[in-house]
Amino acid sequence: MSGGYQYVVAAYAVIWFLLLAYVVVLGARTARIGRQVEAISRMLDRRERTGGDEDGA
Amino acid sequence: MTPSSTTDSTTRIPGERAAVVWGIIATVLVVTSTIGVFLVAPEDADQGVIQRIFYFHVAIALASLVAFAVACVAGILYLRTRNDRWDDVGEASIRIGLLFSVLVVLTGSIWAKASWGTWWVWSDPRLVTYLIVVLIYAAYFVLRSSAEDDRRMRYSAIYAIAGFASVPLSFYSVRVAESFVHPVVFTTSGANMPDSMLIWFVVSLAAMLALFIALLEVDLVGRRSERALRRLALRLENA
Repeated sequence: MSGGYQYVVAAYAVIWFLLLAYVVVLGARTARIGRQVEAISRMLDRRERTGGDEDGA
Repeated sequence: MTPSSTTDSTTRIPGERAAVVWGIIATVLVVTSTIGVFLVAPEDADQGVIQRIFYFHVAIALASLVAFAVACVAGILYLRTRNDRWDDVGEASIRIGLLFSVLVVLTGSIWAKASWGTWWVWSDPRLVTYLIVVLIYAAYFVLRSSAEDDRRMRYSAIYAIAGFASVPLSFYSVRVAESFVHPVVFTTSGANMPDSMLIWFVVSLAAMLALFIALLEVDLVGRRSERALRRLALRLENA
């Protein structure tokens, strides 16, 4: 059984692809959290500028 | 774009440093094991190059079982303490364990095609019992989505503990029923391979375990961040 390279390549490609996809999903969640932090930060800045008059609604 | 005075850039989410450290360890080990498996480990005299699937296939399988064991322990700790943290650990562990299990089934199927000429053997107890384990843990997420809040966490913890009973069933199935196609490499008398192969299997196993811990830590940091953000947003709305 000297051949079979294609099976080894396929197996490792599946491993790397799925692991990478999972890391991308985690990365997307981190990016979403970053956007939320940014939004809250902007909301706080706006409140500070308006002296708390704005309720942010 | 100046940082807001209300956000402290030195504040760290618990587990953030651990996530970075484990991420680095996992990366180093995965790269080392890949190099070792492809460039250093000797070729198997019987199976040839396709035996190289073994290193990651078995390592990921064992790491998935460890992930389910962690979820079981987290379930017990949740029921004892009612601390949300253990629910997070349990769910994240099963999520990663399930990812690893899917990888095991896919790589095993490719290996089966190369070695036995078929993608799947329904009469083999190891394959079938492992598939049952995968389906049991996939159902965990169906259960989670069917309940809310405290009930969801309680049911999930109980399911994670009960589901773990399927793991030894899969692990020992091939040992109980010996005359099947799936090989048994590790027996009570030791590993059925030379040391030059065993060392790279051990490195691959360490890499997969480190990867599991790294993914778990990253997942937990994300959950804590989301929770902290929700609390902050709520306080701001009510302020």
